Amino acid sequence: MVSFRSLALWRLILPLSILVLACPVWAAKVKLDPSHWGHPAGSACVSCHTKSSAGLTQQWQSGAHAEAGVNCMDCHQAERSDVDAIEHEGQTIATIVSPKDCGRCHVKEFTEQQGSVHAEAYAIIEDRVPALAHNIGGVPMQGASCDQCHGSRVKVRGDGTLDPATWPNSGIGRINPDGSKGSCSSCHGRHRFSKAQAREPSACVRCHSGPDSPDKEIFEASKHGMIYAAHRDEMNLDAAEWVAGRDYTAAPTCVTCHMGAAGKLPSTHDVGLRNVWSLNTPVSKRQLLVMFEDGHKLEIPADVPAPRRGTELTRVDGTVGVVKAVVPPERRRQAMSLVCVECHGKGFTDSFMSQFDSVVELYNAKFGEPARAIMDNLYREGLLTLTPFDEPIEFVYWELWHDEGARARHGVSMMSPNHAWWEGMYLVGRNFYARFLVAARALAGEQADALVDSVLSASEHHRWLDDPDQASAILGFMGGEAH
Amino acid sequence: MKGAKSSVLGFITRHVLIALAIGSLGGMLFMVFLIEFDHYTSTNAFCTTCHSMTYADESLRQTVHHDSASGVRASCGDCHVSEGLFAATWDHAMGARDLFKQLFGPDYDDPVINALHLPDAAFRARAWFRARDSATCKRCHVQEAILGKRVDTAAIHREETDGKSCIDCHYNLVHRKVPDESTFKREAWNRMVEEEHGLEPGTAAALLSGRE
Repeated sequence: MVSFRSLALWRLILPLSILVLACPVWAAKVKLDPSHWGHPAGSACVSCHTKSSAGLTQQWQSGAHAEAGVNCMDCHQAERSDVDAIEHEGQTIATIVSPKDCGRCHVKEFTEQQGSVHAEAYAIIEDRVPALAHNIGGVPMQGASCDQCHGSRVKVRGDGTLDPATWPNSGIGRINPDGSKGSCSSCHGRHRFSKAQAREPSACVRCHSGPDSPDKEIFEASKHGMIYAAHRDEMNLDAAEWVAGRDYTAAPTCVTCHMGAAGKLPSTHDVGLRNVWSLNTPVSKRQLLVMFEDGHKLEIPADVPAPRRGTELTRVDGTVGVVKAVVPPERRRQAMSLVCVECHGKGFTDSFMSQFDSVVELYNAKFGEPARAIMDNLYREGLLTLTPFDEPIEFVYWELWHDEGARARHGVSMMSPNHAWWEGMYLVGRNFYARFLVAARALAGEQADALVDSVLSASEHHRWLDDPDQASAILGFMGGEAH
Repeated sequence: MKGAKSSVLGFITRHVLIALAIGSLGGMLFMVFLIEFDHYTSTNAFCTTCHSMTYADESLRQTVHHDSASGVRASCGDCHVSEGLFAATWDHAMGARDLFKQLFGPDYDDPVINALHLPDAAFRARAWFRARDSATCKRCHVQEAILGKRVDTAAIHREETDGKSCIDCHYNLVHRKVPDESTFKREAWNRMVEEEHGLEPGTAAALLSGRE
């Protein structure tokens, strides 16, 4: 139900969010005066590093930074008081160049990136990681796998070295010694920082592939990926500006839809800005994007009333921010659709979005919500210990939403029929009916009716189970036929 | 002229000759003593008679300055005591400060106390090397002869070393890593030592100020 109060709120929110979305039109050129870079000590770095680490120096030399006269010291310079400052050949430097450092010149990108789902990728899971990575694997697994994508909380030791348990790391939500979050080199391979490289789908593949977010596989299996592969040479990947529909039209990449400029839609380094749904949660929610006075952002479910301007909210990392504006899911969808309409009709776009939404809603109602309700019941009744993964059903449930469920939802969001069904919802269904329910009923024992089957019968999605006589040849023969 | 000569000769009495002979012998013995003294007090065996120095020895043993394929092995004194009798004696005389502090100062034998004071020792040692233009490194290492395993190592030592002394680049080579003084952070160092030894936060500062 929409109250008058929240209607009034929307009137406030919509113009604000339009403002937010209608800023510069494409990837911002650095507007700083070149006198800000070209550190005098830089040439000495280059002279020695040409010999000591020729590879990275060569990469830098082939990139736009060298061309513009931006040298090693411009990015690596540090203050003595910086936590990770070290002395190196008479200079005070830091090994890690954080988004804050890049943001000295790339202001727009830094501002957009801070507070995005990418920047928060470590903060969001920090408390949850040990239960999976440490208990099932072991502590070294966190640094070698989880943190390589999500980022690490980089620890500077008292002797000035970076703790090898937390670095090297270029995870996208890395918590840097200077407090900033993220790692630009997660997508922008150092030290060349090529635009073309970051626009390639491969820029995202290190993390967006595999069982829980097979976006590489999904993209490649989709029409978009198919056309991209065939016409990659027409993508104009090296262009200074890269506005879909103007600078290239051959095919979209990950960047095109999630970050890129398209028509009048500005580019953004907030990769989640155009996403309506949370797709990697046990139950998907439409999401509000809360923008704070200090430039930070927060995703919150849209099924609670939107916070008003001036409200104080606690963010993922525990800090409190004052709400400046809220972008509702409708606006986010509108932004994403602006990309689609560079190539597709509006009706086509809306209908696709409707297919997408209905699969997510189906997943929620048929599997996500019931499975969670049943798990809740089992925990509440003390039939499961509170420790995750010490009972087989916890693996079954985890894979149901985290792997198979995420795969189905990602599959439908990016048009891979195979991932939507065979790699996705089919496996969710098989898991739910043939593993999860079996295990849950066994655990519930005599309480199975109350703790498990009552949840099923409350949902119309499982009524088909009540009719045992729907013969079909799907299994290769008609059940009940004489052989 | 004659008178002057005879007065000089007249001065060389038997007593003077005996005194000269004893003096020369004594002086020679003293020199021999100094040489032997400097030599002995430069050995690892002597240095590690104080337990506090065994920590430095342990870290040395992990490095190529102790174990090199060519069999060259550096002792404490090779790096930390100057060449030449007078300079070596002077260094040892200055080194008496360490002995004094070992006897009357904090308990450097304790690994925690030792680690907490290590940075100050490192800063002093580095300043010592710098003041002597890394003279003791050059006892063994000849800059023009540095080839390295990669071709670039030779080029770097040939082309990138103007105005630099060995120690400017090659610190943290043998003993436990300590940041350069310019970026050293006492708080962080204390915290690291506390973590290593499972001590409550704040213990290090208390130990340093002698409250504990």
